[in-house]
Amino acid sequence: MNRTLGYFLPVTLLIAVWWSIVVLFDIPHFILPAPDRVATVLFDRFALISVHAATTALEIICGLFLGSIMGFTVACLIGDSKRLQSITMPALIISQALPVFAIAPILMLWLGYGFASKLAMTTLIVFFPVTASTLAGFRALPASWDATFQTLRPRRVRLFFHVQLPLAVPYALSGVRVAASVAPIGAVVGEWVGSSSGLGYLMLHANARGQTDLMFAALVVLCAEALIIWSVSNRISLRFDQKYTANV
Amino acid sequence: MTKVIKEVQINETVLSIDQLTLGFPGQDPLTTISWAIHRGQHIALLGKSGSGKSTLLKRIIQGSSSIQCQTQRIAYLSQEPALLPWVSVLDNILLGFKLRGETIVSKHLERAHQLLTDVELCGFQYHKTNHLSGGERSRIALARALLEDADLLLLDEPFAALDRSTKIQMTKLCKELFANKTVILVTHDPRDALGWLDMAVVLTSHGLRGPFDLADFQNDHALIQALDGDL
Repeated sequence: MNRTLGYFLPVTLLIAVWWSIVVLFDIPHFILPAPDRVATVLFDRFALISVHAATTALEIICGLFLGSIMGFTVACLIGDSKRLQSITMPALIISQALPVFAIAPILMLWLGYGFASKLAMTTLIVFFPVTASTLAGFRALPASWDATFQTLRPRRVRLFFHVQLPLAVPYALSGVRVAASVAPIGAVVGEWVGSSSGLGYLMLHANARGQTDLMFAALVVLCAEALIIWSVSNRISLRFDQKYTANV
Repeated sequence: MTKVIKEVQINETVLSIDQLTLGFPGQDPLTTISWAIHRGQHIALLGKSGSGKSTLLKRIIQGSSSIQCQTQRIAYLSQEPALLPWVSVLDNILLGFKLRGETIVSKHLERAHQLLTDVELCGFQYHKTNHLSGGERSRIALARALLEDADLLLLDEPFAALDRSTKIQMTKLCKELFANKTVILVTHDPRDALGWLDMAVVLTSHGLRGPFDLADFQNDHALIQALDGDL
């Protein structure tokens, strides 16, 4: 009961504040539509919104999956070598430091206006947090554990797969959790720059036609998608956390 | 005849350290030591916090041109038992074989089960370690070290985080199970070592002092003097 209340209370409060502002200040619907108006648009134009929502969801999920796999793989490849890390780190940091808006037109040029460019944007935005967290996981082996395992005279590859890699899993998933919350940025920015489908595209067109209520409806659906994707990755992450977190 | 064999064994040097400087990169060296440890000796290594006791054990494991170790079979136990939470107690004990890629045969399994009985954890073989108490986890680490059949045991305050009664129980177990091994125990409390270890050495900024009789440190004054390097 408390948990359900914990989810719904902030949302209810937000809607109440939003509604009060619209009513109290008599704000015209093309500036800030009231929640009931947005709800009506959501129901009336459900078919249209759901098609675009599906495109964005697919971009986010595929980008999150691909970016996580790539981030984890790169971290595994460079995790054991400080030299490789020092060589690749500048490139990784640059990939993150460049604003996605700056890269988006280039990706459009290279990959076209379809799904591939949005997937690339989302993958790019997801890649760094997963890589950085997984690398932190490889560095997290306590010194006393290191000494203990050294006395067991392990083969390097076996130590990596049996000890270091599983210990890095909770860290990697923590990175996925962070990435899940920023992944929609990649997809939506990609859609803004150039696309023919997706919630970003729908918002852009609704804005151009002065359909603020449709814009807000798309925004609400985007928030819901982001929350669902984050919750799922959070659940998966917590499950692995319990299994692989070391008692030190 | 038995006495002669024991004397020969005791005179055999297991570990020889010659002018080893202990310290951390970018900092002044803590101390420089020379030390010879003979087979079968049970030694308590005392010293103030930060004197380099744990660093010394880790340097022995890592190896150095100043250290001549006659055995590769070294076991290390610290306050953190280094147990993998996602595998069972039995798999943790057999971890060394798995990490070396050696085949685990029935005699290894029999020995592992016997050791679990010795450390009073019979019936726990399929439990996950994160559901066990600190004392139980320490005993698993002990069993793993014994299964490795190490000649030299480096114990870095392995029972410091345990309550007094568990600590006494663990010390008793170690005394029984490590009887024929060479043991270096880092401790702050010589009471942990009394009745088990033969002697104590003290690591100070002026090098190693000793050997001392552990009974000499039953009053705090003598221990403080020794830790300050004044004894």
